[in-house]
Amino acid sequence: MQTTIHSLKKGQKAIILDFDIDVIPLKLLEMGCLPGNEVELLQIAPFGDPLYLNINGSHLAIRIETAKQIGVELIKNKEK
Amino acid sequence: MSLKNINVALIGNPNVGKTSVFNQLTGLNQQVGNYPGITVEKKMGFCKLPNNIKANILDLPGTYSLNASSIDESVVIELLLNKNDRLYPDVALVVTDVENLKRNLLLYTQIKDLEIPTILVINMADRMEHKGITLDIPYLEEHLKTKIALISSRKGHGIEELKNLIVSYKTISSEPCLNASSIDVEYFNSLRHAFPNQLLYKLWLVITQDVNFLNLERNEIHGSFTKSHSDLKRLQQKETIKRYQFINDVLKEGLKVDSSVAKDFRSKLDRVLTHKIWGYVIFFLILFVIFQSIFEWSKIPMDFIDSTFATLSTMASEHLPSGVLTNLISQGIIPGIGGILIFIPQIAFLFLFISLLEESGYMSRVVFLMDKIMRRFGLSGKSVVPLISGTACAIPAIMATRNIENWKERLITILVTPFTTCSARLPVYAIIIGLVIPDTYVLGILNIQGLTLMLLYVIGFGTAILAAYILNLILKVKGKTFFVVEMPNYKLPMFKNVAINVIEKTKAFVSGAGKIILAISVILWFLASYGPGKQFKNAEQIIKENTKAHPLSPTEFNNAVASQKLENSYIGLMGKTIEPVISPLGYDWKIGIAIISSFAAREVFVGTLATIYSVGGTDNETTIKNKMAAEVNPITGQKIFNFASGISLLLFYAFAMQCASTLAITKKETNSWKWPAGQLVFMSTLAYLVALIAFQILK
Amino acid sequence: MIQEIIAFIILILALAFLIRKFFFKKKSDKNCGSGDNCGCS
Repeated sequence: MQTTIHSLKKGQKAIILDFDIDVIPLKLLEMGCLPGNEVELLQIAPFGDPLYLNINGSHLAIRIETAKQIGVELIKNKEK
Repeated sequence: MSLKNINVALIGNPNVGKTSVFNQLTGLNQQVGNYPGITVEKKMGFCKLPNNIKANILDLPGTYSLNASSIDESVVIELLLNKNDRLYPDVALVVTDVENLKRNLLLYTQIKDLEIPTILVINMADRMEHKGITLDIPYLEEHLKTKIALISSRKGHGIEELKNLIVSYKTISSEPCLNASSIDVEYFNSLRHAFPNQLLYKLWLVITQDVNFLNLERNEIHGSFTKSHSDLKRLQQKETIKRYQFINDVLKEGLKVDSSVAKDFRSKLDRVLTHKIWGYVIFFLILFVIFQSIFEWSKIPMDFIDSTFATLSTMASEHLPSGVLTNLISQGIIPGIGGILIFIPQIAFLFLFISLLEESGYMSRVVFLMDKIMRRFGLSGKSVVPLISGTACAIPAIMATRNIENWKERLITILVTPFTTCSARLPVYAIIIGLVIPDTYVLGILNIQGLTLMLLYVIGFGTAILAAYILNLILKVKGKTFFVVEMPNYKLPMFKNVAINVIEKTKAFVSGAGKIILAISVILWFLASYGPGKQFKNAEQIIKENTKAHPLSPTEFNNAVASQKLENSYIGLMGKTIEPVISPLGYDWKIGIAIISSFAAREVFVGTLATIYSVGGTDNETTIKNKMAAEVNPITGQKIFNFASGISLLLFYAFAMQCASTLAITKKETNSWKWPAGQLVFMSTLAYLVALIAFQILK
Repeated sequence: MIQEIIAFIILILALAFLIRKFFFKKKSDKNCGSGDNCGCS
């Protein structure tokens, strides 16, 4: 299922899809936010913003307005 | 054997322990300066290597890539593109952290592309077992085309081997490890044809950002090779992808993780520390402990410094040959220096705590918790550190705003930080509260004086937030919103790093504020010791005449003369001149003098009052207080220091922009005159109006 | 007298220092770095 990082629930993992690079700063890409890499939502701050993510092994936090711009494909949990 | 020093540059991501490596290599042989023209700190150190070779070590600001997104980061790329810079490295040490190797290596591959001999330093080796990580060093060395130093800067392991590697830097391959030009073969081929003598990757970096060290006019490049902004960005994305592909391939064989062994302390702690409720509770508890400790611990050193300088001052006037210079030294310079040093305990303790929080990794979680709240007021989560630091001194606080990416958020933080109650205001508050607030208890346990002080702190902080809110609405400043904060692993703060950090920040205060305060103290002393006209010159005679009928004792006589001189000195005349302006606030010309002189540093207010109320230069609080309490307005017969005027003074000092040093640093950090000027006007006006209203209502 | 002269010199130095600190012209308008979040507003 396709969605954006913004809509992930805590603990969910997803694969990053293509996104508009004019809107996402290069720095974020260089920290590992690239199409094909895995992202996991670790914590949501109180009030819902920012989001604490594990992107490609990097632990970082970004604001919702940036998270909304990154499309992802959810990974189905194969357990149970 | 030539003993030329080799230049070593330390490069790496933030949070990899680069500073620890720097500290390990240089010990205390380091100095912090500034890069010319900008406000980024330049950290240089000296290290003796084996074989009698000496090295200059340059600790560059942490960055994730050569593509800079802030001033800090731009320093790195500017150095590395300029072979003629005298700090240009002979060898680069790229410091990485074994847990984040994948991301750290991006920067490494970029540096390699610049064909500088590069040593890969893999730090935090002591954590490998913990995390179930094993490395195939020979494999990595071969594919990354370098020599690897596996170290633990915390434990001090591997440093000697690293030094040996540095010494043999000439044997390290300077071949790039991947061919970046394949992202757009045609484009790079044409570049290569046009500029055959230039390093291809350097050209690429120049084109993609605002750097000009190759003496290639940007027009030259752009004319023939113009690509649109988004095309360039697309290429940069391709470059990044290509690099990560390379890194992933190498690490697939070179790094193995046994996740059954890996322990995850980080997420357990995170769950508590970023919790909706507990996160904040813990944070405020920590803040409370910090402030209590700072107050308690600073008392003793502060008293010590106070009495030492009082003694020095007396000694100077007694032992040096009498004359103008001696007076300047004992009444102007020594108290001036004492007034600066007395704040070191508070400032040092505050930075000790902040440094501990940062080193442990907790600060990032605070930023995470506070960002949304702060944004409502135009600030950033990263504004928390400056705002807290401002309670010690605004100068290091404003310097701490450098890591705020968004210019508007950073500017607003710089402008509102001076509203927080800095330590210099405390002596002023203490004496006024002691004078006009009753020393009684409410509800049996809450001391009203203490409550008033706390209230002043709240007012300071609240005004800062409110001002931020208003500025956010008014200011039309360009600023892309771009917020990323890395959440590093929790670690135990290293004492060495913390200590060096505290020393640096304290030095910043002393040299930033100290020189200005001292200079103004000198000037003020002159203004108070000289005056035009006969009233000043003939002070002794005048007093003699006036008290012919009731002669005074020698002490009283001297005090009266001093008082007469002060009233007619330059600064006395200045005070009298502004009296009509400040009397609606409940102040007389004597307070006027104190206000003017506290422009040097707020705490000068108390010292000046001591002089004015002729207590012979000693800072004995009870005596000053008694004298002040007895002061009466000659016209109305009312006490000068009453409840109304006291509150008015407290509020005036809460809001007034009275610190020349803060204005200076604001000018430096914002690179312009208009911001500190605006601050001065706005805050002074606000202080005046609030004090006016308060007095008029309460009188 | 020597004392007066030295004291006066100190005064001049203090004044000169402050003037330089506050009215010093920006001698290098070097680029403040890449990206649009530098100090030039």
